[in-house]
Amino acid sequence: MKNLLAAIERNLRDAAVTEISDETRFDAAYKAVMQCALAAMLSSGYRPSTSEPGHHATLIQSLPLTLGLPDQAWIVLDALRRRRNANDYTGDIVTPDMVEECRAQGRQLQDALLRHLKKNHRALLAG
Amino acid sequence: MSGIAEFLLGQVRARVLSVLFLHPGKALHVREIARLTGSSPGSLHRELRSLGDAGLLLRSEIGRQVHYQANEASPVFAELAGFLRKTLGVADVLREALSGLGDQVTLAFVYGSVAAGTETAGSDVDVMLLGSAGYADAVRAFAPAQQVLGRDVNPTPMSIDEFAKRLKEKQGFAVQVAMSPRIWLKGEENDFAELVAHRKAQGSRLKAQGARRNGA
Repeated sequence: MKNLLAAIERNLRDAAVTEISDETRFDAAYKAVMQCALAAMLSSGYRPSTSEPGHHATLIQSLPLTLGLPDQAWIVLDALRRRRNANDYTGDIVTPDMVEECRAQGRQLQDALLRHLKKNHRALLAG
Repeated sequence: MSGIAEFLLGQVRARVLSVLFLHPGKALHVREIARLTGSSPGSLHRELRSLGDAGLLLRSEIGRQVHYQANEASPVFAELAGFLRKTLGVADVLREALSGLGDQVTLAFVYGSVAAGTETAGSDVDVMLLGSAGYADAVRAFAPAQQVLGRDVNPTPMSIDEFAKRLKEKQGFAVQVAMSPRIWLKGEENDFAELVAHRKAQGSRLKAQGARRNGA
């Protein structure tokens, strides 16, 4: 868990670097979003089967259950997931606005995750 | 826009044709067509038979049920499907969603496979939004439309200047969007042509207009 939390912070910092392309910044922020969802799921005692297709969608869908994410936030996260897919496979564009949105979502999830862990799983933070 | 199709074809015929032509390859039972178009099966039988006689629909009997589907072999299939797609299909639903963003969107159009008519069952609806709307707001505005359409909507908001700049620099995405077919949701082809024209030329034309106005 500690490694995962460190990776989230690292990816969000990488996403803040403006010297690199919007695509790479977006990827880093998106990775942080996924890691937040993964950490929240693991802390609840579940493990997603990451070798199966659709596990990103599953992770995002789990957020209302693990971190109590409101629907409005879920809708945007799911759109970011599809955007990332479209960027990777069909060269769809990533704009600076999308990078900022993905970073903001990542930060918010990180905050929610840390609050959740402090409140419900103190042992995980210590270990 | 839906007004055009209903004005030309009549409400019932416009709805019947859109239900069948926007989902070619799908044969529907008469009662199902009635339900989807909000008309009574009785009056619909005659309408469907006439459209079948005109060669626009294919009739088939499955057991005792009569099914109809769009006749893709009709010489006007592509034109009619395109017309309906632009007037009654996806565009209407998206336009309604777009109204939630108000003045934040100056120009909006569908591009990609749905605009080109080459979409598959899983295709997203790609929507370009030029103006000041943000990505998250755009995604939220189109969320209800996704449910109605049964397709994900993929909005790309961008300022007009940003798009013009990317186009001028011949960036892949902007060029591709500029070259591909469009279904207009807000604004029209002329607005886009003006945008695509060299910004320098645009500036001088606007200046020329201003000078004329001042002179008059």
